[in-house]
Amino acid sequence: MNLKNELRGYAKPVAESVLAILIGVLVGALVLWFSGYSPLEAYYWLIVGSLASTDGIAETLAKSAPLILTAITFAIGARTGLFNVGAEGTVYFGAMAAIIVTQYLQNPIAGLLAGLLIGALWALPAAVLKVYRGVHEVISTIMFNWIAFFLVSWLAVSVYYNPKDPNSTLPIPPSARLPLLIKGTSLSWAFIVAILSAIIVFIVMWHTKLGYELRTSGQNPRAAEYGGINPKRSAIWSFVIGGMTAGLAGAGLVMGTPPSYAITQGLANVHGYGFDGIGVSLVGRNHPLGIIFAGILFGALSAGATAMQQHAHVPLEMIKVIEGIIIIAVAVPGLLDLFARPFRRGEA
Amino acid sequence: MEEQTPVLEMRDIVKVYPDGTKALKGVTIKVYEGEILGLLGENGAGKTTLMKILFGMLKPTRGKIFLRGKEVRFKSPADAIANGIGMVHQHFTLVEVFNALENIILGMEGHGLLSKIDVENARKKLQKLMDELNFQVPLDVPVENLPVGVQQRIEILKMLYRDVDILILDEPTAVLTPIEVRELFAVLRKLKEQGKTIIFISHKLNEVMEITDRVTVIRKGEVVGTVKTSEATPQLLARMMVGRDVVLRIEKPPKEPGEVIFRVEDLWVKGDRGEDAVRGLTFEVRAGEIFGIAGVEGNGQSELIEAIAGLRKVEKGKVYLKGVDITGKRPRELYDMGMAHIPEDRTHMGLILEMSVMENSILGMHWRKEFSKGFLLDWNKVEEHAKRLIEEFEVSAPGTKAPVKSLSGGNQQKLIVAREVSKRPDFIIAAQPTRGVDVASTEYIRNYLVKLRNENKAVLLVSADLDEVLQLSDRMAIMYEGQFMGIVKPDEVTEEQIGLMMGGVKGEPQK
Amino acid sequence: MNEAMVISLLLGSLAAMVPIALTSVGAVISERAGVVNIGYEGILMFSAFFGAIFAELAGNGWVGILGGAFVGLLFGALHGVLTVYLKGDHVIPGIGLNLLGAGAVAFGIRAYWGTAGQHTVPSDAQISPLWMDAFGNSLSPMVPITIAVAIVAWWVLFKTPFGLRIRAVGENPEAADALGINVELYRFTAVLIASALAGVAGAYLSVDWLGTVTKQIAAGRGFIALANMVFSGWNPLIALGGAFLFGFFDNLAIYIQNNPWLAGTIPWQFIATLPYVVTLIVVAGIIGRARPPKWDGRPYKRE
Repeated sequence: MNLKNELRGYAKPVAESVLAILIGVLVGALVLWFSGYSPLEAYYWLIVGSLASTDGIAETLAKSAPLILTAITFAIGARTGLFNVGAEGTVYFGAMAAIIVTQYLQNPIAGLLAGLLIGALWALPAAVLKVYRGVHEVISTIMFNWIAFFLVSWLAVSVYYNPKDPNSTLPIPPSARLPLLIKGTSLSWAFIVAILSAIIVFIVMWHTKLGYELRTSGQNPRAAEYGGINPKRSAIWSFVIGGMTAGLAGAGLVMGTPPSYAITQGLANVHGYGFDGIGVSLVGRNHPLGIIFAGILFGALSAGATAMQQHAHVPLEMIKVIEGIIIIAVAVPGLLDLFARPFRRGEA
Repeated sequence: MEEQTPVLEMRDIVKVYPDGTKALKGVTIKVYEGEILGLLGENGAGKTTLMKILFGMLKPTRGKIFLRGKEVRFKSPADAIANGIGMVHQHFTLVEVFNALENIILGMEGHGLLSKIDVENARKKLQKLMDELNFQVPLDVPVENLPVGVQQRIEILKMLYRDVDILILDEPTAVLTPIEVRELFAVLRKLKEQGKTIIFISHKLNEVMEITDRVTVIRKGEVVGTVKTSEATPQLLARMMVGRDVVLRIEKPPKEPGEVIFRVEDLWVKGDRGEDAVRGLTFEVRAGEIFGIAGVEGNGQSELIEAIAGLRKVEKGKVYLKGVDITGKRPRELYDMGMAHIPEDRTHMGLILEMSVMENSILGMHWRKEFSKGFLLDWNKVEEHAKRLIEEFEVSAPGTKAPVKSLSGGNQQKLIVAREVSKRPDFIIAAQPTRGVDVASTEYIRNYLVKLRNENKAVLLVSADLDEVLQLSDRMAIMYEGQFMGIVKPDEVTEEQIGLMMGGVKGEPQK
Repeated sequence: MNEAMVISLLLGSLAAMVPIALTSVGAVISERAGVVNIGYEGILMFSAFFGAIFAELAGNGWVGILGGAFVGLLFGALHGVLTVYLKGDHVIPGIGLNLLGAGAVAFGIRAYWGTAGQHTVPSDAQISPLWMDAFGNSLSPMVPITIAVAIVAWWVLFKTPFGLRIRAVGENPEAADALGINVELYRFTAVLIASALAGVAGAYLSVDWLGTVTKQIAAGRGFIALANMVFSGWNPLIALGGAFLFGFFDNLAIYIQNNPWLAGTIPWQFIATLPYVVTLIVVAGIIGRARPPKWDGRPYKRE
């Protein structure tokens, strides 16, 4: 009976996310149809490309890894009452740190730790500004994303550039790369790192005193203070842990993505994960375990997009349209009630 | 006076809130042109609810309002203002960054939404108003930089600018210094001279005696009576305001208090607006004693509790727990030293509504070893703990994993009391422990506080419910404007004396 | 640096100022009324795309500008309904809108023009410059229009009843409500104005300044505009100046990038971070004090 109660608690958020996904798929179909494409054909290839073969599944999971990690950044913030959109810039730094450190310490652990550490450090200024100067984190983290973009661009172009390839940074040395899980695909240990991180964050948030304090501060800062918890300390921890997973996302991206194992020109291959992660987190209901599923869904969309473009000739950016609609649908307050109401009236 | 038609009549007003609380049980009041009517009553008597109905902020469940003999129904405050009724709330509704002029003209700036505001014309009009009333406010300074008394005058001007002729003032002196009160009264007298009608809501006897023409006393949602101020005495009004019927019986054996557990010396604490909310309090609570603090809310009780519970800065003075100076210590240290705190704000401070009964059952003690297993929280132990609390205190909850918001108010409160007691404290602060709680839970909680006292704990009870303080306390203080009007034994004092002290008249301090 | 370079840098800064200024001024109006929207990046994308389509269909750049405003208005209405009337979260819709804008425009370029990622707007659908010299320097009529918009916005916000009410509902909707001001209507109107201005800014990108539609045409200007709004302390006139500074630093960075001897002394990327660093310093109250409207981002529900 207890289990049933617990499951019932999850039912509504899950149903809302599923409904939002359905709306995304449906509106996406309309857009396709209006633009002269066949929605059925497009979705067919989207599914075939992402889920119908080992390669497809491997690609799906590989794409999901950084999204899961950046989604966790946002989720920890949301659970702590913060709107931390700083994962984007932290990813750049995490990737860069991994490249720099592995030039000297040719070991995958060193690279991942570098990402983790730089992520924690880069999160601190926004945390300090929030706690001590009351600067809203949406504003500060957007600023820091840009600053990260230019600083990492500079490092990439002027310091750690690849003398043999003007379009990328130095690559991660082979001995420091994350081993592939399936040869010939891009599915590497980065995925395992992402899943482990999600589980660790779940344990920290729901099974430790620190997590208890973070969630309490997020839900009700006054009650937290009354309960002997320092909400400011909680906010700083939230930024730091979130920074760590975003830093890991960046490190995992360059250490576990063949063939380049480097940052490409204009930070193109490490760009956008932070913002997409916000969407993943929202669809995953800001819960690490929900995020694993949402991350795989978004990963599947990216993985299938190539097949969709090749065979159904639908531009692969279509998946961003679907993702955007899903998030806007998630933003509709009481979405489920809006849809359930007509049915209830029907019963009466 | 009684023969003429009242300018305003509220007839048989009933207000039942969605949760079933009966705030008003058929209240009828009459207001005559050009008078100052006092509306006197304790907290929760229904004064503000009644006036919010008049001002279009709340809908009455039943009842009618007549303005100059005609029935009216206001849908919004703007509607009421358009009909010549204005209200100045206890908490001002001013746009803080606007200056006085902008605040006053907002919504009736003149013609043309996109044309330039005619500031000079407004200024002239306001200057004339101020000259007539014989006071000045700076019109060009952001109101947040002005003292409370000036802000209040801006609120009054805001209403007069809209040509209201009936003005409601809700506890207007609650936030004012004595000098500001005198200035306000001068303004009110001027307004009366001009023929305005004023409804003055207050619990302060002296002020009601000084400024009003007639007084209607409300108690527990009903009108007790209306008297001419010239024929009233503070004693009479006090009796009318406080007189009560005791429902609950509490068994309280006599007990000699033990050593001093808790002590406050010359404590000064500031309120949110920077005013001195607590002004030099000194008292002690002994083992095996319930020390009660009564008084109308907003007289510094909240600030006092927050300061001693580590949630608000102490400006001056010392707080001692079991002989140790705890001034300025954080809540966590205080709990570890043997303090427990049942906070007055159940839903915003005592509980995290979205979290489960289990999670709430360890708030403020979650760091204790008994709930940990290594660096993990031991949820099994927490669940046992929560179950124990539920059983012992007969908390009716759907389960330990249900969110606390699914519990009724009474059960939420019992959960808090259970949790705080489970901290095994020597000193317990119980702030408004039974507010909004059903009768059965109230009785349970009150008896439990007595039980704690019998077990030789020191209990500090702060409550706006006078019955509660009278019934439970071994000694009690009446707080008024940040000070104690007296410290007395409940069985050695009359209702009248308490009523006087609650209204700000000093009693004889007891040796 | 010679005179020609100064002129070129100045005109380049003015051209870059326009979209940031228009969007920032809009954002100032919206946030003054208490509605946060971080979806301007998405609106810029959409209106750049549809603005170009409208302009090409009509063979007139100004139709593109109006079309952009209209498209902006539509997305503003969506955001307004979600936040003002349904009392939803103010930030989440913007995140979705940005993602949607990036995807839909890239998709749309291929679907509508059949080209990959980039489409050049024909010159008859572009707005012709007010002034042009032999070196390719030019001044768009949108520059004076933008300056006028900022001044008018400032005047309306601070001198008229409409502006007073907008600011009141963003600072203390309860007080405004008590005086009979329709809080929701004023908030919604402000959101519409803001998104229409962002729509004009987006269309300016494609049918005027850049003369092209690309899948990255907004290039973060929606976010820069938000930074600039904060920098301005929610003041349209300062936002105009701030937008010029952002544009200036942008051009300066490009200028340094193209001058090898300068690029050796200071990396252009460092110059490019300056506006953000300065904004952070301003927001942190280290110099000056920028305080957002009190009810910014909070839905208002009557008691």
